[in-house]
Amino acid sequence: MASPLEQFVNNVRTISASGNFRELCEIISKSDEVLQRNGAHLNTVLETLDIQQHSLGVLAVLVAKFSLPQSSNDVDRSTMFQQICDFISNCNGEQVRFCPELYADLCHLLTDHLVELKQPIRGIEILKKAIRKIQLFDSQLTSIHADLCQLCLLSKCMKPALEFLDTDVTGIGTELGGNNDSKHFLLYYYYGGMIYAALKNYERALYFFEVVVTVPAMVVSHIMLEAYKKYILVSLILHGKILQMPKYTSQVVCRFLKPLSVAYHDLARSQHAAVKHRETFLRDKNMGLVNQVINSMYKKNIQRLTKTFLTLSLSDVASRVQLSGPVEAESYILNMIEEGEIYAMINQKDGMVVFLDSPEKYASPETLCVLEQQMAACTKLHQYIQEMDEQIQVNPQYVKKSVGCHDEDMPATSQNSKTTYTM
Amino acid sequence: MITNFDKLCGDLEKQELEAPNGIASPTTYAQLLAIYLYQNDLCNAKFLWKRIPQTISASNPELAAIWAVGQKLWKKDLPRTYQALAAYHWIDPVATIMRALEENVRERAFNLIGRSYSSISVDTVVSATGLSKEAVLQICRDRKWELSDDGVTVNPIPPTQPAPLHTSSEDQLFKLTDFVSFLEN
Amino acid sequence: MFDLNTAEPMQVDVPLEDNENNETECYVVENPTLDLETYAASYTGFAKLYRLTFVADHCPSLRLEALKMAISYVMTTYNVSLYQSLHKKLAEAIATSGLPDVAVQMGSQDIPVLDSMWVESKTKKAAIKLEKLDTDLKNYKTNSIKESIRRGHDDLGDHYLDCGDLTSALKCYSRARDYCTSGKHVIMMCLNVVKVSVYLQNWAHVLNYVSKAESTPDFHEIPGKDSNQAVLTRLKCAAGLAELATKKYKSAAKHFLGASIDHCDYPELLSSNNVAVYGGLCALATFDRSELQKQVIVSSSFKLFLELEPQLRDIIFKFYESKYASCLRLLDEIRDNLLLDMYLAPHLNCLYMQIRNRALIQYFSPYLSADMRLMAAAFNRTVNALEDELMQLILDGQIQARIDSHNKILYAKDVDQRSTTFEKSLGMGKEYQRRTSMLILRAAMIKNQIHVKNTGRDTGPQGGEAPGSSTSLNRAFDTVPL
Repeated sequence: MASPLEQFVNNVRTISASGNFRELCEIISKSDEVLQRNGAHLNTVLETLDIQQHSLGVLAVLVAKFSLPQSSNDVDRSTMFQQICDFISNCNGEQVRFCPELYADLCHLLTDHLVELKQPIRGIEILKKAIRKIQLFDSQLTSIHADLCQLCLLSKCMKPALEFLDTDVTGIGTELGGNNDSKHFLLYYYYGGMIYAALKNYERALYFFEVVVTVPAMVVSHIMLEAYKKYILVSLILHGKILQMPKYTSQVVCRFLKPLSVAYHDLARSQHAAVKHRETFLRDKNMGLVNQVINSMYKKNIQRLTKTFLTLSLSDVASRVQLSGPVEAESYILNMIEEGEIYAMINQKDGMVVFLDSPEKYASPETLCVLEQQMAACTKLHQYIQEMDEQIQVNPQYVKKSVGCHDEDMPATSQNSKTTYTM
Repeated sequence: MITNFDKLCGDLEKQELEAPNGIASPTTYAQLLAIYLYQNDLCNAKFLWKRIPQTISASNPELAAIWAVGQKLWKKDLPRTYQALAAYHWIDPVATIMRALEENVRERAFNLIGRSYSSISVDTVVSATGLSKEAVLQICRDRKWELSDDGVTVNPIPPTQPAPLHTSSEDQLFKLTDFVSFLEN
Repeated sequence: MFDLNTAEPMQVDVPLEDNENNETECYVVENPTLDLETYAASYTGFAKLYRLTFVADHCPSLRLEALKMAISYVMTTYNVSLYQSLHKKLAEAIATSGLPDVAVQMGSQDIPVLDSMWVESKTKKAAIKLEKLDTDLKNYKTNSIKESIRRGHDDLGDHYLDCGDLTSALKCYSRARDYCTSGKHVIMMCLNVVKVSVYLQNWAHVLNYVSKAESTPDFHEIPGKDSNQAVLTRLKCAAGLAELATKKYKSAAKHFLGASIDHCDYPELLSSNNVAVYGGLCALATFDRSELQKQVIVSSSFKLFLELEPQLRDIIFKFYESKYASCLRLLDEIRDNLLLDMYLAPHLNCLYMQIRNRALIQYFSPYLSADMRLMAAAFNRTVNALEDELMQLILDGQIQARIDSHNKILYAKDVDQRSTTFEKSLGMGKEYQRRTSMLILRAAMIKNQIHVKNTGRDTGPQGGEAPGSSTSLNRAFDTVPL
């Protein structure tokens, strides 16, 4: 065994024993090169370390091992999946939390490996476990989230991602911010939006795409552009029009995205655009959503009819919303009644349809129950905001600033607050 | 006899995720697919069908038969759904789920007709429920749907809502206190 | 996945934004009943020139006459460039009128020819006058007599105006501001600025200076009640024009209604007839029944204005008496003439539509149900066309009603306040939750300094790899129904 490598092992052992993991992180970040150079001996190193006691050391070795180029003969990738699984299951969470970047890197490596093997579904369980292990609380976003969503999308197995996607994020892992690029953040919300759209939960999909598009930006990322296109489509499906972007959307985004998505804006004006820009939609792989937009336009028009008419013949419905005939109109109306999108009674004998008001009188115990749940949710959010406000009030930097003393080193704090991160 | 489909669903999903090399057994796939359909979770059913490796779906006629039903459901083509259900001889454990599925679909169809039609031809009811004319007429009588004089149309009545759930007044009071205390602080 | 090598920012290229086309409304009025002579006589200065040009642009049958009148008027001013452009228009008009020799021969005596001598001498005279006024002003300034300086600026402004240099005129008039010694002067300055700003169609400026004039301390104590009234009426008219031009029809109506006919002498901007028409139409389009009655029909001062436009008076009365069919027919009759009014024309469709909608709403307001066949007859429409119109009004929430298309009856919709309140609050709650969780996420983002930035990696002219390089991923997403 070469001597720098020996030294690395010794360091890991002694410092792990002393519990000074911060120092160990420093050393690890400097030993990357040593490990990479000794690719052939890494397995021996692994044998000398204990996953639970020397989690950080093992983590560093594993990352180094699997980051070696594909062509290198030193690495046997057939055991990669098993090795990483073992590590994630058995490592010491406290320890690896000192170096979340490295931990996330290991997960990225695993993800890439499985994508390459075309077995994405195998990684879902282990990544779920990996996220739970590193999270400080359930609503904390890590950069592994994006990997999980990617695997779910690729394997067409979306359901496992929902338990994460359904939790609104209140805090973000340090490995996602600071000087690191925002790719994993953007990707998580982009993939998340795609998963929701695939499962036809368009409300949430819109929320996720909106997050992508409103990330503070100095330049525009392609992920944002693709998210913006889908934002338009989902917005059309849900609301029949393109919703205004929030005011805090970065200026570059407003300025650059529109001219790059002309076809999508055309679609908002006329459904003929679906044919005219077919090539574009196909190339962007958005044709499925475009078809949903067209379908929802019929539905929106029928909904307009229910707002204006009491009775209408089925053939009138068909001609007013440009359906092929009374039979198609009947099936549209029937489907919409089933989905609870309209309230109506069809009279097959006369070929008429009577539009009704919502039968909901808001007087049932269920209504009360819904109302109570909604109020509780709002209250909870409000309290959360208050807590955030209190935290800011007692933040020394804030106090200093608001008293009028302009301190220049303001931004420094947010970088070294690795552990005090409890928002 | 399987009764708790939701629990079974969770188990099967887990089996799939933990399967070696990511490929589960044909029975796991078949049951899971059938349960998604039973739950009317067509999106997940469709994605499951798409992710089942071709070698498996091609060599298991039962899987293909289940998805044939799913396809009809996706298109909301009720008459063909019943046809597809009848077209295959199901074997347990899938058979139980498919039976439950058929009942589920039929019940939904009756409720939907009740909610959406003030008059409808018996033939339409027959094709939407996949029953014989006699059976339909019997159910119409049970549901107190009136057969009109011409003998071809029935006048359905909307289904009654399930009984409201009761909450304890103590619970109510608790929530109210919570709410008031929020407003006052 | 997105190519890892290009990574963030995968910056996007920026295509050039294409300029939006400025649509200019192009229409032609065929059969006006306008007496151009009388019409032109109501105006002086730029008002006359602009209005004649507008008529010429939109009415082929009056084109030649309007241009001739404009040319003969412009020759009384120093406005050489307008003279030349009018002649150009005239030449075009003759060329495109298509009528060959006969017309030219007939018209040859009275069709003016471009007089280059006139152009030359006028240009020279204008320059001389400008020089003189400039020197005068300089002298005043060296003597620093405030009043003379103010007058000097005003004279210079008048001259620029005469020459057609509106921007310079505006500058001179504005400069006079620093030398005003009394409220009266301030008001005069304001009036000058307002006038030029109207010519320049700078409506914000107009309103600004109108309110400046009105807030001048001794505005209401100016000696001579009459002159005070005259100033007030001018200000009202100018403000009305500005509000009309910016589509604030209701406040436009209120301004015009405040004009006094005895003091309505403002030929540089508009005539009393204009005040009647602008005010009347705007009021009809935006006032409710009681406002219309109190502020228009029984208003003693506006009644006099309406006497000038008997047709419009009839229209307003018919509307008030709920005789919508004849009201709308009369409106159609005067439409062509109104389309030749440069300030009204761009808003005419909008105003007519609002009047019509108001009529429909008012017609239905007392009913619980209304027979649409009768309603269609009352509005000169087919039942189907009426149905479409009503549909739009219902969707806009202007009429609370539903159509029974089977029996062609319009039913008033009773709104259940309680249910709507529940519905609204639940919606509001949802929106609150959405926004708040977005806010919390955003706070976390900012705390972690997450933003899309240029990582310094040059991604090449194409801005990096386009996403979707992983086709399998996107195909998973493309959820085409089976």
